[in-house]
Amino acid sequence: MGIIFLTLIFLHLTKKNFIATVAYAIQSFAIVIILLNSFFETGNIYMYVVILATLIIKVILAPLFFNRLIKKHDLVFSASTYLNTPLMLIIIAVLTFVANSRKFAPLTGIIPANQTLLSLALSSIFISLFLIVNRKGTLSQILGILSLENSIVAFIVFAGLEQSVGLQVGVIFDIFIWIIIAFMFMSMIHKHFGSQDITSMKNLKD
Amino acid sequence: MEIIIIILAFIIATLTGLFSKKRSVIEFFSVAASLIAFVESVIAALKVSFHGAYSSTVFFSVDSLGAIVMLIIGFIGLAVTIYSIQYLRKETDKNVIGFKRVKQYFILLNLFLLAMFLAITASSPIFAWICIEATTLSTAFLISFYNKPSSMEAAWKYLIINSVGLLLAFFGTLLYFTSVSQSGGTGLVSWQLLLANVSHLDPLLAKIAFIFALIGYGTKVGFAPMHTWLPDAHSKAPAPVSALLSGVLLNVALVIVLKFKVITDACVGSDFSQNLLIAFGLLSILIASLIIFNQKNYKRLIAYSSIENMGVMALGFGFGGLGIFAAILHMIYNALTKSALFLSAGTIFLKYSSTKIAKVKGALTALPVTSILFLIGFFIITGTPPSGIFLTKVYILTAGFKSHPVISIVALLLMVILFVGFLKHVVAMVFGEKPETVKTGEESIWLIIPPVVLIAVVLCLSFFIPPFLYNLIKDATLHY
Repeated sequence: MGIIFLTLIFLHLTKKNFIATVAYAIQSFAIVIILLNSFFETGNIYMYVVILATLIIKVILAPLFFNRLIKKHDLVFSASTYLNTPLMLIIIAVLTFVANSRKFAPLTGIIPANQTLLSLALSSIFISLFLIVNRKGTLSQILGILSLENSIVAFIVFAGLEQSVGLQVGVIFDIFIWIIIAFMFMSMIHKHFGSQDITSMKNLKD
Repeated sequence: MEIIIIILAFIIATLTGLFSKKRSVIEFFSVAASLIAFVESVIAALKVSFHGAYSSTVFFSVDSLGAIVMLIIGFIGLAVTIYSIQYLRKETDKNVIGFKRVKQYFILLNLFLLAMFLAITASSPIFAWICIEATTLSTAFLISFYNKPSSMEAAWKYLIINSVGLLLAFFGTLLYFTSVSQSGGTGLVSWQLLLANVSHLDPLLAKIAFIFALIGYGTKVGFAPMHTWLPDAHSKAPAPVSALLSGVLLNVALVIVLKFKVITDACVGSDFSQNLLIAFGLLSILIASLIIFNQKNYKRLIAYSSIENMGVMALGFGFGGLGIFAAILHMIYNALTKSALFLSAGTIFLKYSSTKIAKVKGALTALPVTSILFLIGFFIITGTPPSGIFLTKVYILTAGFKSHPVISIVALLLMVILFVGFLKHVVAMVFGEKPETVKTGEESIWLIIPPVVLIAVVLCLSFFIPPFLYNLIKDATLHY
């Protein structure tokens, strides 16, 4: 869980798109390990399908797609953030504090033995949301959404709320289609706006 | 059985769209699939009305409110598919789109309709979430259909905001599952199972879960302040798609919110969810009323009216009692009228080649039938007496006067403001001198029939509700 949290902080700080996609791949690999651990605990043989699908889609395919896009459009550096780094770090600290506060005790106390892990997962959810709103680049926003999904998956596993394998595969399939569509949209946005900076989109002012 | 037939019909229509090279074949199969879906929806509604809620397989179940929304999807889906044929032919004649785009349109339209049918009939909340997410994915390309920078921007905004919303909804949904995991339940978790295990749910957790579900699915419903994607997406999508987004999709998402409301109410009492719905409802009406005055685009105008009407429904469900009955009725009237308005707006767009209010003058001369439809639609949607929406608004506010008098009065004032703002724009469009470059006469009879039928049905339903539909509404009122 620590890896997921740290990669999220890194995603906030990094200015290079390639490194950001590598961070996402590492984060997704941490999810695979968490799922694998859950498999050893539950012994559900069909969990292999979910783990394999997660590995292929999130750890291999998604970063490959994004790196292809980075190379194709020469998107070495990500677009800037709305807030400066010190302010960003303060907000991350506040969000982490809030996630660990008593207000969210009903969430983090679902399984008392996993309270620290659940607090960390909840912090990751909040920090992912902050990443989506603070970044101006389309790739960063996509990585923010995918990190949010990873954080939720981590929370689910530590809270013991995993669903039937069929539904989990359905969700991963949905995410896969989402990644393809987001990838296609990024290409089209670059074609139309010549940039991945969302502040360059100013056509909806009528 | 009905839902299986609907799935097969749409899959066949989608495959035809993928592999056929003949436009007429794609159009025929799409209309046939929509017609089959409508007929099966009527059968399902009759079954539920006379025999109660039923499950056809372990994955699908239809209750009274689900049956009503199935009827809405089926009926509006059929009208929109028929309208789309002529609409896209006109666009092709103008060289705006080619055959490839038409193929893409019908494939995505069929998938979109299928996803909505699946979402409303899914017996599992997670399966419903997957289907709602599928509606986002299928419509993103429909919103960016014209491949212009503005439509691309609207589609991106739609994709990002709705994806974040749906992930929050996913999180909220899973929090409800603690009740089942604590009672040792495994396998497919259905809505019924969640309700049966509600005694194992921590009340505080139920409240947090409902907030996530409400904000998440509320984004899809278009509740303020999560509504920002809605006017952009509805104004940039082709008019028939806007009709489906506004008339149907918002209701599907609202029903999912209501399903969570039932579970939350059983755990913590109804006050919590009702107060939240009232807050979001009033804020939505407020935002729509204030923004509608400055609108320059008539499709955005109708989109803001959707935000207002979803707010009115939220108020109805929030006030409870008679308000719930009126809110369900309001859902039906709004869906039909809003779709008719968007289809009429599509015909106006074909004639004037612009969605700007300033460029549309003298529509009554240029498009007499469509303009009259647009006017009637406007009067119905703003709740002018003796329309059905007038009655539902009166019922909702009456229900509210007892428990929340101040909110009801504020809502009433905002509705009046919205009426004036909407009227100002409609008068500017319909009356006056038409530009000389715009020819007089309707575009096609097939662009008139679908909105005429929708308006005719809503007018009929304003004065007479068939017994089977009345049973469904009554039963849904008791359940939700």
